[in-house]
Amino acid sequence: MTNEYESNITVTDLDTAQPGTSADEVVIAVSPAFGTKIKKSIIDIGLDKILKELCAGIEEEGMKYRFIKVYNSTDLAIIASQGSKLSGSGICVGLQSRGTTVIHQRDLVPLDNLELFPQSPLYDEKIYRKIGKNAAKYAKGENPEPVEILNDYMVPSKYLVKSTLLHFKEGEMMDKTKKAVNVDIQF
Amino acid sequence: MKRSKRFEKLEQMPINKDGFSYEWVDVGLVAMESPNDPKPSIRIENGRIVEMDGKERKDFDSLDRFIADYGINVAEAERSMSIDSLEIARMLVDIHVSRQEIVKICSGCTPAKLVEVINHLNVVEMMMAQMKMRARKTPANQAHATNLDDNPVLIAADAAEEALRGFAEVETTCALARYAPFNAIALMLGAQTGKAGVLNQCSMEEATELELGMRGFTSYAETLSVYGTETVLIDGGDTAYSKAFLASAYASRGIKIRFTSGTGSEVLMGNAEQKSMLYLEVRCLYLTKACGVQGIQNGSINAIPLVAALPNGFRAIAAENLIASMLNIEVAAGNDTAFTHSDFRRGVKLAMQFMPGTDYITSGYGGIPNLDNVFAGSNEDCDDYDDWYVLQRDMKVDGGIKPIREEEAIAVRNKAARVCQTVFRYLGLPEITDEEVEAATYAYCYKDMPPRNKAEDMKAATDMMKRGITGFDIVKGLYENGFEDVAERIMNMLKQRVIGDYLHTSSVLDENFRVKSAINDQNDYMGPGTGYRLSDERWAELKEKFNALKPQDV
Repeated sequence: MTNEYESNITVTDLDTAQPGTSADEVVIAVSPAFGTKIKKSIIDIGLDKILKELCAGIEEEGMKYRFIKVYNSTDLAIIASQGSKLSGSGICVGLQSRGTTVIHQRDLVPLDNLELFPQSPLYDEKIYRKIGKNAAKYAKGENPEPVEILNDYMVPSKYLVKSTLLHFKEGEMMDKTKKAVNVDIQF
Repeated sequence: MKRSKRFEKLEQMPINKDGFSYEWVDVGLVAMESPNDPKPSIRIENGRIVEMDGKERKDFDSLDRFIADYGINVAEAERSMSIDSLEIARMLVDIHVSRQEIVKICSGCTPAKLVEVINHLNVVEMMMAQMKMRARKTPANQAHATNLDDNPVLIAADAAEEALRGFAEVETTCALARYAPFNAIALMLGAQTGKAGVLNQCSMEEATELELGMRGFTSYAETLSVYGTETVLIDGGDTAYSKAFLASAYASRGIKIRFTSGTGSEVLMGNAEQKSMLYLEVRCLYLTKACGVQGIQNGSINAIPLVAALPNGFRAIAAENLIASMLNIEVAAGNDTAFTHSDFRRGVKLAMQFMPGTDYITSGYGGIPNLDNVFAGSNEDCDDYDDWYVLQRDMKVDGGIKPIREEEAIAVRNKAARVCQTVFRYLGLPEITDEEVEAATYAYCYKDMPPRNKAEDMKAATDMMKRGITGFDIVKGLYENGFEDVAERIMNMLKQRVIGDYLHTSSVLDENFRVKSAINDQNDYMGPGTGYRLSDERWAELKEKFNALKPQDV
């Protein structure tokens, strides 16, 4: 069923992203191939569905979101770290096309984070909603109970080859010289 | 096509749930012998390497330059490079050629030269060579202690049990990064409760990991990653110099470290320059040596599902462990990541390091169930203990750990949980209840623990770091509250960084805090009757099988 699903997403690059000034803003920073070369996560969830849930989670907490796309790295830590520095609240949800996600905060070094969701094949839409909600809570200065940790130690043996191939695709869209841009995402 | 019932059954077997891939040289999906791997060469002018592996100095990237300037013994280089690679390969399996002699030759070889040497060996020859070449004579083992909830009481109990089983090192990490200080402290308390002298680390982002060490919450560090291409190293925010600087920061505080690398990591990070995984890994080993670091954790590590998906995967991994030993550095040999659905396959993978022995046969063994393993699962977990012990017994091999009795495990787990409870109370951290102590004593996994308030725990952990709490506060808290024995052990661990002996290659501590390293326990294997042999006392421990039939029972 999911394999038949055609993701309905269009991503349009806008201007160079500037630091946000509004304290109720959560940045959603996506990777180079997001929504263009790659439209579905590693387990074929449409990236439109993932965004829908993330955004709904943020809005439920009364916060706003802004999309940016990072081009100069495929590394989630770098993507989210850049996003958090551009975020008005200092909070960013970093999202790779394969579905790997992190909640980052401005004052943390790139490889640190508030919450990390490293095993992309395990996450359904519900988890992304919770991630959105928690990101918004951090942005409001709250100290929320973290989203539950999921772990399946057989995930890498099943998915690491596919994940590597997806990473190559991200790499093809990387542009070392390009600054992060605001993006319009229709979904 | 009408299906064969045998083929249909085969398709259902665990092995066919694993991912496999053909080689794809253009992106570096090749374990060994890429056609783009350089051919060995060296040219020295005025004591400086001006050409290495077919590249002129002016064309060196920053890694080449660092390796050429600091990683190769120029005094030996011309002689080493003039010896035929096949001859060096044969020396590795020749019992009449000593380890020291080979180490000297390898010190003057270039990365491509050692790759050429190793390409001549089949896996049995690699195992034979590994037995001779590992730096420390006595093999050891390392364990993971983590849980999905980052429950510190459970970490303390698990570490205590692991220490009692004989692991020389224990390692933790976090599901939630902000838990790091608690996990590190819990691990240290558990390890020292279980057995004196067990080394402990908390694998985190580098600045956090360094701070935990400097505070005295950890006694070594391992998560200092190096990569074999300049692009990937720089993408990770590093240069060879920044890694060397980080290494010296640890050294300045007398804290043991090793680097981490492994075949396949460059491909995973998206830039392998069309070289083989093994060649790039060998560059990491040279980088490690050039930084003056005593050891490496390698054996593919996180990338093993990818390396094992390719032809020559296990062979490449055995080769990278072996080359580390040939470069005279400590090797913590992987076997720490679940990569296959097949028990048959994971057992055979392990055998390649288990039978010859390495400085640490795994890095590490999941002393917890794999569902609790925040490193995403190990090749072996707590359900495999009896398999491991029986293999030691079957083959008279020392895999670094010994069977223990259930009542001993329960006692030590309970004590570790109470020690952790006491320290939390003393430091004003969120309470550990008696109910939690009881649960941790008998627990299988995180699901057996009463839930803690994570948000409150993490806030307290951050606050504790802000208050400037160190290992000495913990010693004091334990000493004043009825745990003088554990206090003394932790004090002794803190003293090690002043003494500094455990900074030698391949160091472990015994229960009297005496260092055993490649200096005073040098591997002297030269055939039957030499090298590591089990003492009668050790064999008695390893052949114990509590539920075996005794003649008098019949």
